[in-house]
Amino acid sequence: MNAVFSIANTTVGEAIRRRVLLIILMIGVLLLSIVPSLGVLSARSESSVMIATMFFVLRFTSALIAIILTVYMIPNEIERRTIYTILSKPVQRWQFLLGKFFGAVLALAMMIGLMSLVMIVLFWVFRHPDIGKLFELGRQALLYFVEMSLLAAVAIFFSTFTTPLVNFFISIGLWLVGTVLNPLYETISQNNSNPIMQKVAQFATTLLPNFENFDTKNPIINPGSMIRNETVYYLQVTGYGLLYITILLIGGILIFDRREV
Amino acid sequence: MHGKVNVVDNLNLEVEEGEIFGFLGPNGAGKTTTIKMLLGIIYPTSGEGYVLGREIGDMNVHKVISYLPERPYYYEHMTGMEILRFYGSLFHIRDEAKFESLLEKVNLAGDKSKTISQYSKGMQQRIGLAQSLLNDPKLLFLDEPTGGLDPIAHTEIRDLILQFRDEGRTVFISSHELSEVERICDRVAIIDKGKIKQQGRLEDLLSGGRIEIIADGVSQEVADKAKSTDAITSFHNGRLIVDMPETTDVNALLDSIRSKNGKVISVVPRRRRLEDLFIETVSDKPGADRSAGAEVGS
Repeated sequence: MNAVFSIANTTVGEAIRRRVLLIILMIGVLLLSIVPSLGVLSARSESSVMIATMFFVLRFTSALIAIILTVYMIPNEIERRTIYTILSKPVQRWQFLLGKFFGAVLALAMMIGLMSLVMIVLFWVFRHPDIGKLFELGRQALLYFVEMSLLAAVAIFFSTFTTPLVNFFISIGLWLVGTVLNPLYETISQNNSNPIMQKVAQFATTLLPNFENFDTKNPIINPGSMIRNETVYYLQVTGYGLLYITILLIGGILIFDRREV
Repeated sequence: MHGKVNVVDNLNLEVEEGEIFGFLGPNGAGKTTTIKMLLGIIYPTSGEGYVLGREIGDMNVHKVISYLPERPYYYEHMTGMEILRFYGSLFHIRDEAKFESLLEKVNLAGDKSKTISQYSKGMQQRIGLAQSLLNDPKLLFLDEPTGGLDPIAHTEIRDLILQFRDEGRTVFISSHELSEVERICDRVAIIDKGKIKQQGRLEDLLSGGRIEIIADGVSQEVADKAKSTDAITSFHNGRLIVDMPETTDVNALLDSIRSKNGKVISVVPRRRRLEDLFIETVSDKPGADRSAGAEVGS
């Protein structure tokens, strides 16, 4: 695990210095900072609008960071030949791939952590909520972090055999589809009596990563909406994310292990 | 193999312990592919290979070998010292004194706190050599170690490579710089179209120099005699230029020129150079195949 840790550590060092990521992060923080002033534009509860908009900014910015951070990760190492000096040492390819993934996850944790902190502080300053509300915000931010780790695993998986550009579109496409899987499935189930279509919808919903599961902002915004057993739900969703990440990493390792670099 | 093209085929290299071995070939001959296969970075389509008596890809081999790729890139945000710490950690080496001494060895002790982005090409190559020495390797693979460097950096890298041999390490160099290889290598192999065409000690491969004779007032009869030998001749208006192997009877030709009132202007012995051998070998001349087979090991 020493090699995995060393590679992860170096990956974090490089990721937090990538200008494009820092610019996206700055834009994210800037957008979060102006969200409190948008509440006056809505007739709805200002707090609800503020939370919904902040979550949207946090989620979208994090997804962009996760994808841009990871799609270039492996191809860059090959193109710049850094991988040769590493793999000629006693380092296995799976260690290299895991090191890269964990490095990406650590960098994501730092960036999402920073944006979440800005979000919580701003909400506290402008809305003076009780501590329970702040905890709910923090918990949702944590779920977004698991979601983005899954998205990073998707991008790392595809980076073992596709070009960065193709990978960018596949990853962003899967994320967008994954965020509407639940409503899509419900619509098809309710409005389509064709059993084949229903099976296809069920299969797609099961096979594709369901990113919608990680978005629980509705119960936070809308007091009428609630999750029946919160602890079980959050554990299940986190477990789902970790299981999916594990499957993607194993798949990525198997492909990368035989790939010519 | 890449796709359906044989990049290297039936390759046997014999590298002796403690020598500098030059691996030569034109662009696309398969040099880098061979090195990557030996390092287990790419896989042969078929067959097997051994390095230091162990199968390619064996992690125990990776503990005692090292590799410096052509024009390597190092993480630019890191300092020279951090580079050594990073690569050292891949071997579980955390010996700061060792890092210091390696930086000293490659003459970068004063620049250890500078980031790689502040290093010149020569300095980057030197930090590359330092990282390749972290595990005290028995066998070093250097791919174009002096490529793109200025003459001073060239000399510094050459001196370091010679120093590695003095320390008892085996150095495997892939290079296009034939004069450099001729200066430092003990033995060479020339690869072309994926096959070894020449392999052996430099002094053996370069033996058999040539002699150039220029004479004036030479008769046609003597010129014809010179042409009948194993020589390259040029004859025009009584001037004869002969380029012949030193093993030919030079004195007999000189005697015949003089006996027919010719005037010998110059007799210049010319040593065979690695460049001559290389061009002869890769220019598809018959009889260029003089390889000897064995596995890579030292």
